[in-house]
Amino acid sequence: MRITPSSARHVYRWDLDKTYLDTDFESLRRLVLIAFEKPEEKVNVPGAPALLRELGREQEGKPPSRIAIVSGSPTQMRRTLEQKLELDGVRWDEFHLKPQWENLRRGRFRAVREQVGYKLPLLLESRTKIAPGVRETLFGDDAEVDAFVYSLYADVVSGRVDEAGMVDALKAAGAYGDAIGRCCKALHRVEPCDAVERIFIILDRRTPPAFFRSLGPRVVPIFNYFQAALVLYSDGHLDAEGVFAVTTAFLKGEGLAPGALANLFQDVVRRGHLAGTAMQDLGLAIQETAQGSALEDEAGVIWNCVQRFVDLGASRRFLPPAPPEGIDYRLILEGLKRDIEGHRAPA
Amino acid sequence: MTVTTIALDCMGGDHGPAEAVAGAAQLSLDRPDLHTVLVGDAVVVGEVLDSLSYAPERLSVVHCDQWVEQGESPKTALANKPRASILMACGLVADGRADAVVTAGNTGAAILAAERKLGRIPGVRRTALAAVTPTELRHGPKEDPFALLLDVGCTLNASSRDLVTFAILGSAYASAISANPRPKVALLSNGAEPHKGPREVVEAHAILAGLMAIDFVGNVEGLDIPKGSADVVVTNGFLGNVVLKMIEGVGEVIADLASDAYARKYLWRLGLTMLSSGIKQIQAVMDWESYGGAPILGFTHPVIKAHGRSHARAIGNAVRVAAKAARSDMARTVERAVAQLPAEDA
Repeated sequence: MRITPSSARHVYRWDLDKTYLDTDFESLRRLVLIAFEKPEEKVNVPGAPALLRELGREQEGKPPSRIAIVSGSPTQMRRTLEQKLELDGVRWDEFHLKPQWENLRRGRFRAVREQVGYKLPLLLESRTKIAPGVRETLFGDDAEVDAFVYSLYADVVSGRVDEAGMVDALKAAGAYGDAIGRCCKALHRVEPCDAVERIFIILDRRTPPAFFRSLGPRVVPIFNYFQAALVLYSDGHLDAEGVFAVTTAFLKGEGLAPGALANLFQDVVRRGHLAGTAMQDLGLAIQETAQGSALEDEAGVIWNCVQRFVDLGASRRFLPPAPPEGIDYRLILEGLKRDIEGHRAPA
Repeated sequence: MTVTTIALDCMGGDHGPAEAVAGAAQLSLDRPDLHTVLVGDAVVVGEVLDSLSYAPERLSVVHCDQWVEQGESPKTALANKPRASILMACGLVADGRADAVVTAGNTGAAILAAERKLGRIPGVRRTALAAVTPTELRHGPKEDPFALLLDVGCTLNASSRDLVTFAILGSAYASAISANPRPKVALLSNGAEPHKGPREVVEAHAILAGLMAIDFVGNVEGLDIPKGSADVVVTNGFLGNVVLKMIEGVGEVIADLASDAYARKYLWRLGLTMLSSGIKQIQAVMDWESYGGAPILGFTHPVIKAHGRSHARAIGNAVRVAAKAARSDMARTVERAVAQLPAEDA
């Protein structure tokens, strides 16, 4: 069942390669192999199907959420990718793929790699169909400029960046004129609101989290989807059952020990993206449901988390990066590209 | 996969938490079998960590707001700082939350903290600080270019029984780290004959000669240390420290002389340039950062003292060595061997 844009309670937007699928397109050989992979041969980023299933699951008494996928994969892969999502039991409501053949045919070679001019028009056009005030959570990775394009989208929709600023950023990113035109057109139809709640960036390349500080607290760099599940629980998007499902995917599917998951919990608390006290409710929920049941391992994770929280010093509060006073997207794009390429800490 | 947990005192070294955290961060990417607990100021440690690539599932932080400075008196510092990082790191091992401790901080404080929190292996009266010294001969199946010298500073006056215990400790450690099942152990003296040397050395020789648990090869003289005729060389903390500093001093003087020669004459410069690959090999052997710190032997769990000047690589190697020692059955091997010693005179 597809969720119509107007009836959605919340929108979850996902990138696919490196965010949902563990795609290795670092070499031409791998790129060719990917094109011939069967759906069942595609490998997931650990925990991604479990989390996406949980976000799409209907919760009692709540209107459903909408799941929108914007991928840089070519349109020719639609059938394979849709079959893969079906195999994983994931539902989606919107699925955009990049018209790479069209780009090549028209000699738009820059557009083959460029992501900002591809994703921002799609995001804005999709937003025009969503009911005003509905909020969004976005998922991307550190292989490309997802953190940048999502932040720009958030600030454009909220009105913090005006049309001129958006055009300037698009030009800096190397977007073609028609993409800029589509963005401007869509922007005029978007009801301004602070729509983007969180931007999760999975650190596939182990980019140091500090690289994303300049984008403010909205951007949450995560090392895996267990960390995202905890933050989403704290934000009220997942219930305890949802956190268990993701936790189980890591314990049973990936073979991570409860202690390792607790370390991941401590990491996200220490970086200020999760209040340790938010775990109290989860602990209580587990106490009621987990004892003597099959969820004892999951309960073990939570108690390990409590220990790691105490280890951080009970009275300390860890703060997320401060909200930026004004973002110069042109500068940020240059900085992000430089830092991510060179793996150097920002000044 | 068995994961070994190492408590790393991040606050002690000359470079502060920056190098310790960087060493642990790199290790977290390289070694899925290790979990490093970073003991230090959580905010400071976190700031360093966030600017690096790391694997968070293999790292955790234990906050502490006190630490012992290099120049402080260990006894006074630990009395005034009950939450000092080295005490907390040793406490984690005592509580079963970690398997070994690594510190680049104040050596005296590390010994005292380990004494209080971990205690010694039953039968071990005094602890020994061991150091690796470069040698001409290679040792063990891995052909390590160094021998173990102990004690180099823990126990200034060692009795014959202490020297025998040090021999057992050194043998067990060398066996665990160098994969050498029966390292050759020698006593440092002023002659190879069993009757040469001070009374405690002569007595220790007599006991060691009858001890089956280790491969005792007799006495060695100072010149045998760099030659590498034994895998483990045993002496008291006073003499050991003098020997170690002398070896380090000779190395530094040679390096200074070479630099001087390089600057003085074009012909010498040419000669040194032609010898550069050989010099690099010697430098690699003399590179203390690759040896991973000095173990403080005799405690129930491994305690590795990294050099105060350690950079990230040296810290990483110290954690690797600590993990290797923790995985061995060293404490039990030592306990069994010490139990075989003849009863001590009152």
